[in-house]
Amino acid sequence: MMWEGLAIGLFSLGIIGFGFFWVIRMEYYLGYLWWPYPLLFGIGMIALSLFVADAGWSALLGVTGASFIWGATELKEQAVRAELGWFRRNPRPKPLPPFVSIIRKIKAPHL
Amino acid sequence: MLQTSGLWLALATFLSIWWGHVGVRWLEAHSADIRPPMVILIIAGLILNVAALFAPSIAIGGVCSVVGISLWWDAFELVRQDRRVRHGHAPANPNNPRHARYLAEGKATLHDPLDREPSDPSEAEQPTVRERNPELA
Repeated sequence: MMWEGLAIGLFSLGIIGFGFFWVIRMEYYLGYLWWPYPLLFGIGMIALSLFVADAGWSALLGVTGASFIWGATELKEQAVRAELGWFRRNPRPKPLPPFVSIIRKIKAPHL
Repeated sequence: MLQTSGLWLALATFLSIWWGHVGVRWLEAHSADIRPPMVILIIAGLILNVAALFAPSIAIGGVCSVVGISLWWDAFELVRQDRRVRHGHAPANPNNPRHARYLAEGKATLHDPLDREPSDPSEAEQPTVRERNPELA
């Protein structure tokens, strides 16, 4: 029997769960304007997965990369949820990300 | 040669999450009773996870299990979406008798509260929507 597939499925559950955690934290401390950075990190992980010889490790990198891309699309909605009072809102101004003038011109993606 | 397992798993993961958001919202909004789709999702998830055990490769087994486990999550998510609609955190479908009942109870809404742009995060604290407009929140 192939247990590796099931292990990858369980890993995806864990990494998506971790995604909920870091999206909430990142929006709280940094703000949603940082969304391109997890997006690029996720794309980078998927690109890296193409050059890993072992299929299992490549699969784990792919799952992790996809979950970071999804997390990037959640940041804007998380900011709205915090403004609606559904989540704790950071009262302090948040640091602006590098290249913020370019980021502001792009509509933040969401699912 | 490139190792494409990660790419397939990334696609499966992202599409599963996408369906978990968009598809579950649609399914919940168009089901008068969420229990039948929940049962179908649970059975489909079980079939895919069993198939993963007999898959010929890690990539195929991984895709089956990722999709299967996300279908189980989606079954659970249908209950959470129902709760969101009931509390006015997601738009209700007035043509769905279950949603029509929630609307009649007065807490559900036709408006999507998340369909707005957030304020600039670099600015100092502003009152939350709940503080400005408790009914909307």
